[in-house]
Amino acid sequence: MRPLIRAVVLGLVGYVAGAWLTVAVRGGSPSDDVAVTFGFILGLIGWLMGIGVWNAWAREWFGLPAKPDQATGWQRYLTFNTDHKVIGVQYLVTFITVLLLGGFMALIMRWELANPGQDFLDPDTYNKLMSMHGILMIATAVAGILGAFGNYLVPLMIGARDMAFPRVNAMSFWLIPPVAIGLLSAPLLGSFDSGWTAYPPLSVVNEGGQVLFILAVITFGLSSILGGLNIVTTVATMRAPGMSWGRLPIFVWAAFAASVLSLLITQFFAASLILILLDRAAGTTFFLAEGGGDALLYQHLFWFYSHPAVYIMVLPAFGVMLEIITHLARKPLFAYKVVVAGFWGIVGLSVAVWAHHMFTSGMAESLHAPFMALTEAISIPTGLVFLGALGTLWQGRLQSKTPLWLAFGWLFNFTIGGITGIYLADVATDIHLQDTYFVVAHFHYTIVGGTIFALIAGSYFWFPKITGRMYHERLGKIFAVWLTVGFNLVFIPLFWVGINGMNRRIADYPEFFAGPNAFASVAAYILGAGFLLYAGNLLWSARRGPAADPNPWGARTLEWQLPSPPPEHNFPLLPEVVGHPYDYGIPGSVHVAPMTPEGGEEA
Amino acid sequence: MNDSGGYKRDAIRVGLLWLALVVVLEVVWFSVEILPRQYAEEARIIDDAFNLLTILGIPVFSFVVAMLIYAALRFRSGGDASQDGPPIKTSTPVVVTWLVVTTALAVFILINPGLVGLAELRANPDADLVIEVEGQRWQWVATYPNGAEVRDELVLPVDTRIKFEVTSVDILHSFWVPGFRTKIDAVPGLTTSVYATPTELGSFAEDSALRLQCAELCGIGHARMVMPVRVVEKAEFQAWMADQLTAEAPAAEGRG
Repeated sequence: MRPLIRAVVLGLVGYVAGAWLTVAVRGGSPSDDVAVTFGFILGLIGWLMGIGVWNAWAREWFGLPAKPDQATGWQRYLTFNTDHKVIGVQYLVTFITVLLLGGFMALIMRWELANPGQDFLDPDTYNKLMSMHGILMIATAVAGILGAFGNYLVPLMIGARDMAFPRVNAMSFWLIPPVAIGLLSAPLLGSFDSGWTAYPPLSVVNEGGQVLFILAVITFGLSSILGGLNIVTTVATMRAPGMSWGRLPIFVWAAFAASVLSLLITQFFAASLILILLDRAAGTTFFLAEGGGDALLYQHLFWFYSHPAVYIMVLPAFGVMLEIITHLARKPLFAYKVVVAGFWGIVGLSVAVWAHHMFTSGMAESLHAPFMALTEAISIPTGLVFLGALGTLWQGRLQSKTPLWLAFGWLFNFTIGGITGIYLADVATDIHLQDTYFVVAHFHYTIVGGTIFALIAGSYFWFPKITGRMYHERLGKIFAVWLTVGFNLVFIPLFWVGINGMNRRIADYPEFFAGPNAFASVAAYILGAGFLLYAGNLLWSARRGPAADPNPWGARTLEWQLPSPPPEHNFPLLPEVVGHPYDYGIPGSVHVAPMTPEGGEEA
Repeated sequence: MNDSGGYKRDAIRVGLLWLALVVVLEVVWFSVEILPRQYAEEARIIDDAFNLLTILGIPVFSFVVAMLIYAALRFRSGGDASQDGPPIKTSTPVVVTWLVVTTALAVFILINPGLVGLAELRANPDADLVIEVEGQRWQWVATYPNGAEVRDELVLPVDTRIKFEVTSVDILHSFWVPGFRTKIDAVPGLTTSVYATPTELGSFAEDSALRLQCAELCGIGHARMVMPVRVVEKAEFQAWMADQLTAEAPAAEGRG
């Protein structure tokens, strides 16, 4: 606990010092945009130094011996720990918590939306709640799978003892709490009401909470970049002997591809937010027409990151689901190389489709046709992922387990998400559907139905590996059905209201849309209640569940060949990879040589 | 030999299931009315695109669903976790067929409804009537050719190609009439435009699809930044427009 207390104290001291110094130098109020900015920056530095950057890292710069925290047991999770498995669990618990929090906000919104007219949230509060829900869920989708399973599994799956940069890794996690604190304390400064997209000029002229949004999201971006850098370097340089690129588990490919994107494009979001911050705090007019600026410029920069970002969210989800499907169908991953090519096709095209978010923005009409073509083209590599999934299920020996049930729900949802995406890539239909509930339903099908389903399925599939105990299978299956049915009941009606003229981001709507909204709200409560079953199952099983076999699925990838949970530094001797990870059913095939002193290379 | 005979039987069954799903869903699609009423020529173009995408999307959706249903029913293991499936690593004919079909579909929808719809929407740059519309927090101001400034109701003549020249005085808004299906953002410092050719008489009082709704988040009043729309006969429109001028003159109200 001590490092955490130290971090909070130093963070607060840094914040007060930054804000106070700003006021001392230039006057003004300690709650104005400039003071908050410098307060946040110094506060962030104080927090990082307190949590362990100073002890584990910076002391070396001054010729002092590093003093890493020696915490053991559960206290490891509250310290600057460099074990990738500890960091993976930190991410998993943090983002499941954020997911539940963001989901709870959605339930409050659905309460207001259950009836037309104003019930208990005024429009301003509604807009702010909606914006908070949006950014929390986006963060969960971006960092949940990559942070949790990327960290926990990538080194295990490639036969490495840790990440390439363990301290950078610890820092990328410990950047997250200040993000959460910054976002959740924004209401103290009037919160932010411009959605997670933060389009200017609204985000330049609204209340001061927008500054905390900007600073928190830039910090979050830094965390993503560092995390991406780490996974890219680890996969490129730390694979065990014999773990050639052609033998990489599919999740590693997915995490690697997503990390390349995350490393290369997150800067654009940070840059666009910094320009907003300068417009607010420094008097620039990048996005303000009265000063010669251009509001559309922001949208181009923003979507240049934020469309590829949906692939940062969904590529790791593809990886998780293909692992689950392959191991639980007990067949080789169908067309493995083609699926990997599909991943890279997605990465390549993802940076060239952004302006399909802007067909009604007033941008040059000459851009419409090319962006429609490129956006529709991305369905081809995405289709290859479906080919891999369906081809693997075909003739499989399906093990009826919770993660596979969720994989079926995921394939169903993501198909709807993909097909409805075509309506938004087509210029004609998008002109009508842009900014309606059709868009809301579509992206919930891809992000919740795709990414969050994978996060949840993965949390079941690797639960025995992470905790050494087994979850309750029957409760897991009940939840899988509950989640899939509940989710579809909430969002199917929202397609209809969107098509029929209900726009998004509104606390009130015409009487005409009352029926489907009431239905969706009731369904949302049923869906929300299901998460009690999820949290209850996993929390109870983590403490009291029956001890799990090290390899309950009989899976071939490396992480399952270790005890559960795997020991610190994973492999006493480096494993030797001798075959493909998914050669189920091929007589005599082996992925890893037996991990005995004779079988492995000396450490 | 035995195995490949089994595969063939499975393929035929899943194909029949797929076909059945496609037929059922297409019949459902053609027999229910999901889209809102069309009040403009542009609505017809956009709804045609919507229909075509749905007709083509149903077989894709049905294929995945058929595969999932069949797999759940037929490929369930007896419970022996150590029993592996057949080691099918890939199949070049399947991969090639898949790529050809998905690429052909993508190219098809790019052409029609994609480029065809775009061309139809842009076919005619002329307009019989130009109305300037200005968004401001949180109301719309429409300026008619005779100079009348109107805030309470957007009255439009039927069978007339209307060009809306849209801008904003403060932050982003978006001009959207669901009954016309047309939408364009109101951007400060920029004049954007959108066309609508009303084909049906009607008013907001009868159908909420006839409203000019702000569709871009703009703060507290966003949800209620609505201007009722009424489509009237041409003659009635001319009389109404003239009335607006005389009604407005005594007030001599400056622009907000």
